[in-house]
Amino acid sequence: MWKSSLKYVIARLPRGSGEWFFGSGGRASFIGSAAALLLVCFIDAPFPSVTIVPPYYKHILFSCLLYAILTLSLNFVTGFIGQLSLGHAAFFGIGAYVTGALTKYLGLNFWLSIPAAAVLAAAVAVLLAAAAQRVKGAFLVVVTYGFGEVLRYIAINTDGLGGSAGMPGIRPPSIFGVPFNRIGPSGKEPYILFAFAVVSLLSFFTWRIEKSRTGYALAAIREDEIAAAAMGINTRYYKTLAIVMSAFLCGIAGSLQAGYASFVSPELLSSTQSILILTMVIVGGPRSIKGAILGAALLTVLPEFFHSVKDMFGLGFDPWMILYGLILIVLMRVRPQGFWGKSAVF
Amino acid sequence: MEFVQQVVNGLAQGGIYSLIAIGWTTVYGVVGVMNWTHGEVYMLGGFSGFFLFTRLKLPFLPGLLIAMAVGSALAMAIDQFGYKPLRKIGMPRMAGFITALGLSTLLRYSATAGFSPDPQAYPGDLLDYRMITLFRAGGREITVSSLHLFIFLGTLAIMLALELFIRRTLTGKAMLAASQDMSTLELMGADPEKLIKITFAISGALGAAAGVFVGTIYAINTMMGSLAGLKGWSVAILGGVGNMTGSMLGGLLLGIAESLTAGFISTGYKDAIGFIIMILVLLIKPTGLMGYSTEEKV
Repeated sequence: MWKSSLKYVIARLPRGSGEWFFGSGGRASFIGSAAALLLVCFIDAPFPSVTIVPPYYKHILFSCLLYAILTLSLNFVTGFIGQLSLGHAAFFGIGAYVTGALTKYLGLNFWLSIPAAAVLAAAVAVLLAAAAQRVKGAFLVVVTYGFGEVLRYIAINTDGLGGSAGMPGIRPPSIFGVPFNRIGPSGKEPYILFAFAVVSLLSFFTWRIEKSRTGYALAAIREDEIAAAAMGINTRYYKTLAIVMSAFLCGIAGSLQAGYASFVSPELLSSTQSILILTMVIVGGPRSIKGAILGAALLTVLPEFFHSVKDMFGLGFDPWMILYGLILIVLMRVRPQGFWGKSAVF
Repeated sequence: MEFVQQVVNGLAQGGIYSLIAIGWTTVYGVVGVMNWTHGEVYMLGGFSGFFLFTRLKLPFLPGLLIAMAVGSALAMAIDQFGYKPLRKIGMPRMAGFITALGLSTLLRYSATAGFSPDPQAYPGDLLDYRMITLFRAGGREITVSSLHLFIFLGTLAIMLALELFIRRTLTGKAMLAASQDMSTLELMGADPEKLIKITFAISGALGAAAGVFVGTIYAINTMMGSLAGLKGWSVAILGGVGNMTGSMLGGLLLGIAESLTAGFISTGYKDAIGFIIMILVLLIKPTGLMGYSTEEKV
């Protein structure tokens, strides 16, 4: 009984392409969400005495958007060329550390450190891409995992980067001489808007690239690499392109995180983080822009919610992690392509 | 002679890695799934040993055997509830891997919720502990603790028994054949589901044994499965996936390499060295040390 009703619901889930949100197109959704975001951010500004949206919620909102950047980046590897990567937190961490070190030790402007972070992450990704030419599937998973872990050990063991304690005291970015944390009622608003701008641009970029020559080449490689090579597609070039592009974007997210938290720690590079980003893509649905954003939001909000449940009942353990495992198992059983995924691939 | 001492120190840990790696490699060879839960079986094996030794006050050998049985049952249950339903619908590769990730998270955090998250130690009088002098080299005594020696010999004995099982029995030969070509084996009249069950049982037993062995030297905790499990998989790849001798050799190599890194380079990089070696080996020889290459077909 419940199985058939579940199937009924699943059959009516929205498809990957087409409408974005309640039947509205991409442009209307963008304007709507931008307006909603501005409202949430600045509704507190006229009334300094009351807090309608607590800063904690704004923090969660920022995390959602930050992870949306990461999932959209990872989507180039997992969605487009169909390879799982468990090392993407490494690129995120590289971005954060580069921004942290450059702004703290060299006094570089935050905005100038973003391209530096992204380019360094991309340069490191060239090495990983070289590995991806030789191995794939389960082997690539463990290579990316090992790669991330090695970088984490380097971060822990390098005293100049703060060691295992991390690097505190990174100056917040400023715009026209005004530091970011002075703008808006809680100081988080400019970060939220900046992250939203990046997510929007990235969504647009992903959407455009999917229907381009590059997008079709990546799709061909995903479906059958040997056949793609036989068709004259330079698989080596396109695979490298996808991985490097993805790392470049993760580096930007890392910079943003370093500026927002004004603190960088080796935890940013941990495999838990990589697994989280990957499962966000899987839950939302690979190759779906909406899916990537939804996955990022779901897996950011739910842990926070269950954390409050834990505090409410005074549990000695975190119920979320158990549920998280269950969700992954059940999802793969009933809908292996993820919530908004187009078709079961891999 | 510090070098020889470090090599000797690494052997016991290496034997444990070999055991974990063989568990990974048999499952990957026969079922073709990257069984991410193997680290959790190892952790739960260590914990069942803990309960058997502290609550029931069992001596070592019966405790080890019961823990191995528990590990087998657990691995078979994981297959039954996790992978078998996916196999029925023609398992897509990614779905199997994500299910494994989910199962491993579920087991790890259920264990944390059920047991104490603090590290637990086996009773001190479980095994006899003293230093044994192996030989003298360069005017220095090369010593090994009786525990390390015992673990090393124990892992070797288990691996030898497994090797005999694989080479001498029909089921073992069928497993070997299955790792090469499951569909042909099916045409020969073998029951793949039964073989897969046996494979998981063996893998679970080896993982649990490794967990118990680790518990005799170090304190165990519910998070220990993630790193050890992944090191096992690196070792399996290092030795060549599907090749048991390769896993054995790879495990010992990793144990020695870690011990040497800790002794001569820095203890901070001890856990990283395995991944570095694995990545280098994969880049130079993607089939691993003893693996044979298979032609990829369209």
